[in-house]
Amino acid sequence: MRKIKTVRTPKKRSGSRLSSLGYLLKEGVKNIWSNRTMSFASVGVLVSCLLLTGAAVLFSMNVDVAMKSLEGNNSTTVYLQEGLPTLTSLRVGQEIKQLDNIEECEFVSKQDAVQNMLDMLGDDGTVLEGLLGDENFLPDAFRISMKDLNLYDETAAQIEAINGVDEIIDYSDIAEQLTSLDNLVTSVGFWIVLILSLVSLFIISNTIRVTMFSRRLEISIMKSVGATNWFVRVPFIVEGVIIGLLSGGVASGLLVLVYNKLVSSIASIPLFSPVDIGPITWRITLIFMLAGALFGALGGLITLGKYLKKEGGDLGGL
Amino acid sequence: MIEFKNVSKTYSNGTHALQNVNLTVADGEFVFIVGSSGAGKSTFLKLIMCEETPNEGDIIVNGTHITSLKKREIPYLRRMMGIVFQDFRLIDNMTVYENVAFAMHVIGATQSEIKKRVPYILSLLNLQDKQKCRPNELSGGEQQRVGLARALVNNPKLIIADEPTGNIDPALSFEIVDLLSEINRRGTTILMVTHEHSLVKHFHKRVVEIHDGRIVADTASMEVEPDAQD
Repeated sequence: MRKIKTVRTPKKRSGSRLSSLGYLLKEGVKNIWSNRTMSFASVGVLVSCLLLTGAAVLFSMNVDVAMKSLEGNNSTTVYLQEGLPTLTSLRVGQEIKQLDNIEECEFVSKQDAVQNMLDMLGDDGTVLEGLLGDENFLPDAFRISMKDLNLYDETAAQIEAINGVDEIIDYSDIAEQLTSLDNLVTSVGFWIVLILSLVSLFIISNTIRVTMFSRRLEISIMKSVGATNWFVRVPFIVEGVIIGLLSGGVASGLLVLVYNKLVSSIASIPLFSPVDIGPITWRITLIFMLAGALFGALGGLITLGKYLKKEGGDLGGL
Repeated sequence: MIEFKNVSKTYSNGTHALQNVNLTVADGEFVFIVGSSGAGKSTFLKLIMCEETPNEGDIIVNGTHITSLKKREIPYLRRMMGIVFQDFRLIDNMTVYENVAFAMHVIGATQSEIKKRVPYILSLLNLQDKQKCRPNELSGGEQQRVGLARALVNNPKLIIADEPTGNIDPALSFEIVDLLSEINRRGTTILMVTHEHSLVKHFHKRVVEIHDGRIVADTASMEVEPDAQD
């Protein structure tokens, strides 16, 4: 045996120096590849979780927009009884105008109503063209706006009492229905997202547990030669974070794609223009990826906390 | 280098692994630890490596009271030790070079330090021609030399060898202990657990015998004639 020279060797190191970072990142990527089935499952569950969260948030945003547009509209439609002579219709209009709380009162004939609908529907409205003639079953109406909405019920009752008035369509009813639907979606969405989050955490931590088990020999050697717990941890956290980032990317891509497809197919709904997510696509992607990375890191840490307490031979029965 | 003062260790299942052990190993000593299975040899090593903590007594390793060591300080204590395992514990999908380099990677050595140090250590142990081989392409003796290279690569002050010859041919066992002796001559303290009496007889080293958790014999540098029969 040759003489043993003393060569300068690493002394006390932090174990997480920048020079080791590349090595640790590479190990993390290697973990994902060597355990790809479980990694794929983790990505799948996390994508579902993020998609559902995103869908619930977008739904809420759209309900908000719809409600604002309804509130801003402040218009109520008063339908007249069918077959009412024009003179009678004009008299009803006069009576409505004389009420204290009425700001505007505009006559909308059945022909105007069909034309309005045709304008809003564009090409899709061709089926309604037949209604322009004698087939028009829409009633004549007055579109009114009130000075003080707090006196709404009182004024509506006065209008309904006028002879010749059939019914009053109030958009606040629709707004109320939308709010209760939004509340339902929010609360159901909350529970679904909570449960899926827990499932994602469970699957990610199990994925990392499997990787750790398959690399228990390396971990035991790392610990025996003096690797710090952080050095052992980093590749597994990197694994979780990469799974999270990947899921965030896929989920945001899918959400934007499906949402835009949906928006283009319902664009013809009257009185409603859906939220355009074009300008916030990058923000959605960023938030999704950050949330995914956070979940991944958390999943890794949960597993590692338990595992790192074990020593040498206790690491999976070595 | 190592001092055990009235050390006792009882496991949670009630097993008294070590009872009132007192032992001092000086810097640069070579000590064989012998004893039957279950005598307490593994616990003795685990206490030095901080894998277990004693219920009573004090342990000093290289001037550090390891019984009061904080958890985050343990890795730094382990960096002054090199550990050789009976089952080699080499990573199958890594080459010989990578197995040795791995020990340097995990304590944060730079690539240039690794490139300088690993070939040097491999050549010391006559493994320079095997550095691209995988462990399963090597004989038992060669695998243990790789294990020894990995233990040596971080230039430890203490080598703990847990039955390093248990899984290799008797003829090659002498070669491994010869290597350990050479390392010891250069100033590294060696603690070697073994069952093989032939080795203990052949190499004139201090022998500590553990039985039922107690030190029953401690012989400084036995002067025994090498036995040709063993």
